[in-house]
Amino acid sequence: MRGYIAARLATAVLVVLGVSVVSFCLTFLTGDPAEIMLPQGATAEQIARFRAAWGFDDPLPVQYWRFLSRAAHGDFGVSLRHGEASLPLIAARLPATLQLTVTAMLLAIVLAVPLGVLAATHRGGPIDMLAMGVALLGQSVPNFWLAIMMILLFAVSWGLLPTSGRGGPAHVVMPAVAIAINLMALLTRLVRTTMIEVLAEDYVRTGRSKGLREIMVLTRHALPNALIPLVTVVGLQFGYILGGAVVIETVFTWPGVGLFTIQAILNRDYPVVQASVFVLATGVVLINLIVDLLYVWLDPRIRLG
Amino acid sequence: MTRRAARHLLGMLIAAVGLVAGLPAPAAAAPSGEVTIGLAAEPNTFDPHLTVGRNTQIFIVNVYDGLTARDAKGNLVPALATSWKRLNPTTWQFTLRKGVKFHNGDDFNADSVKFTLDRAIDPETKATIISELSTITRTEIVDPYTVNVITKSPDFLLPVRLGELFGLMLSPKHTKAAGKQTIATKPNGTGPFKLVAWTKNERMVLEANEQYWRGAPKVKRIVVRPILEDAARIAALQAGEVDMIAPVPHVRIADLKRNEKLVIKTIPAPRIFHVTIDVRKPPFDNVKVRQALNYAVDVNAILKSLYFGYGTRLATVVDKGALGYDPGVQPYPYDPKKARALLAEAGFPNGFETEFDSFTGSIADHSKPAEAIVGYLEKVGLKIKQNVFEFSAFGPRRVQNRTAPLFIYSIGNAYLEPSWVIRWLTQGGLGMHYKNARLDQMLTRIEATDDPQKRAPLYSEVQKLIKDEAPFIFLFQADAVFGMSTRIDYSPRPDETQWLYPLGLKG
Repeated sequence: MRGYIAARLATAVLVVLGVSVVSFCLTFLTGDPAEIMLPQGATAEQIARFRAAWGFDDPLPVQYWRFLSRAAHGDFGVSLRHGEASLPLIAARLPATLQLTVTAMLLAIVLAVPLGVLAATHRGGPIDMLAMGVALLGQSVPNFWLAIMMILLFAVSWGLLPTSGRGGPAHVVMPAVAIAINLMALLTRLVRTTMIEVLAEDYVRTGRSKGLREIMVLTRHALPNALIPLVTVVGLQFGYILGGAVVIETVFTWPGVGLFTIQAILNRDYPVVQASVFVLATGVVLINLIVDLLYVWLDPRIRLG
Repeated sequence: MTRRAARHLLGMLIAAVGLVAGLPAPAAAAPSGEVTIGLAAEPNTFDPHLTVGRNTQIFIVNVYDGLTARDAKGNLVPALATSWKRLNPTTWQFTLRKGVKFHNGDDFNADSVKFTLDRAIDPETKATIISELSTITRTEIVDPYTVNVITKSPDFLLPVRLGELFGLMLSPKHTKAAGKQTIATKPNGTGPFKLVAWTKNERMVLEANEQYWRGAPKVKRIVVRPILEDAARIAALQAGEVDMIAPVPHVRIADLKRNEKLVIKTIPAPRIFHVTIDVRKPPFDNVKVRQALNYAVDVNAILKSLYFGYGTRLATVVDKGALGYDPGVQPYPYDPKKARALLAEAGFPNGFETEFDSFTGSIADHSKPAEAIVGYLEKVGLKIKQNVFEFSAFGPRRVQNRTAPLFIYSIGNAYLEPSWVIRWLTQGGLGMHYKNARLDQMLTRIEATDDPQKRAPLYSEVQKLIKDEAPFIFLFQADAVFGMSTRIDYSPRPDETQWLYPLGLKG
């Protein structure tokens, strides 16, 4: 087990390093920020002078070495827009993003599990049809479109919820639903499938034949086993959820890492983009690692040699 | 004479005496109430020397003052300087306002001006606005309320530069003590509002500076919320969460105007759209070809379809709000027949092949107008290869002069001064290569004229020449659009500045 963890950690470090190299190269493909940072009246000569002052004109390997040697100490440089260190700027926005993504995940699970179970136990009937219809809709609706429709309906027409921004619990509802919807659909189908499989297992039949109440059979015997794959899928979906959060944070001006990163990309604020990619990649890798370990622990059928 | 009429006459007499004597107006009521504003972008910093982008420069003037300012019509007026004059071609003298205090109580005087300008041009500061202050060599204190600013070469625009654009004044004592990082988020200016709270991406709270030298603002608190997404920003206004938003997409104006609770105000923004023609490359060296291109494009139709009519057709590259804009210089009419005839005269009865660059992802939409323009040019026989770049990829192409013979662009005339725009458009770099000795002479003469009122009429000749020479396809300026609730009273300014000092509440 210890060896397995060490090997997984080593690959995790390599992945994060690889991602930061890619992000470094990608940011340089988007052109440099000198022109955006100077007022529009700047002449070509002034742009060149500004570029030299900031070191944007150094050869790419030189700039990359500078980036890497700094990043090794957790220093991603100073944000070109905010004049503050990049990493703390990102860190300060993590809580907002976590609040949103965790809420969205919980919402997706809380909705998907009963819906999936109902669909599985009423297979082929109207409840099943309805649940699968909801799932199909949830998987095919673009989340940003849904977000804007919700704003028009719940905030503008009915005045029930705030249109955007972050504040009380009411502010979380629409962005969380917008992020949760695709995951919820996916999980509903997953729970239904695994539940159908599990319900056909011998131990379920044994439980029923011993005269256990159906509710006990479902919650005590079938569901815990049906939920094991759910853990993996939720973990693997974390990256997608973060991706969704980037879009949805932008729609709702939710002050998290996603919105901040989008703005940094638009403004060619390299240090922030690189810090953000590092933080997000590390987050995804870590979650995946945790999921793998959890899985080993949850499912005794997996034996590590 | 009745007693009432006598009283009336006496009142008028007193008012007249007051005006002559320059007495201050009676003190206005104390600031009250709160207004919330939703803007597409928030400032990147409150350090006036490190501002990035117009969105920041048009906003932080609410906290700071420059030596000069603009009035509601866009005229240059005194601010922290009460008067200014050129002592010799390279020396401007500013007489400073007495008794002005920074928000923290520090005095504003000649030291503040010298400190601020020294800091701006110090290479250590790495000021983003250095390109706009590059003519300054040094600042000399004459006495506590008089400073001389010495420039490398004559700079007639210095009083404008040192206004709300790039001359916002800092307190030496506070800036030294607080340090660079601090003034970025905790500014200390002399302006009408104090920044009392700022959580980036969430909200910013401005509070009235009751000791403001112009008199206290009308509104006590202004909350600014950045709302990036157009749909969410409009929704916030419709839901009554905010009292004012900017910008409003043109496509939504008609729908919002139907809402009785809202007021939509538009004003031509000083952003001049144009197509640059590379006059060095045949056939564009032939003026008939360039004129033909101008006849070929139906700019009014573009304004109508893409901007729903909220824009102004321009005859040249001088915008409507600029000093000396001459409405008598009429735009080229849409006349494809005339365009074909001119092309035939120039030896291209069947048109010719060329390339056209446009880009996406900049401050304003350039790619849609570009598509329409290319369509019109092809109608008169041109065969065009259209390239669409991402804005950041297009920038380096301009810097390296690798642009196509035709490319769309827009320049914000923040100075409201045609000469500034034309000098930029004829700089011989960034893909712009039109040169004209007569035009240069005219501009030099204009730039030697310090009095704006005397300068303005001289621009008529300039506009006529540029129109005839047609080094650009002249396009339009789009309107800036503000949406507001009926409870507030606000008129946007012609230079884009989001000046909130006159903002008031109705009733």
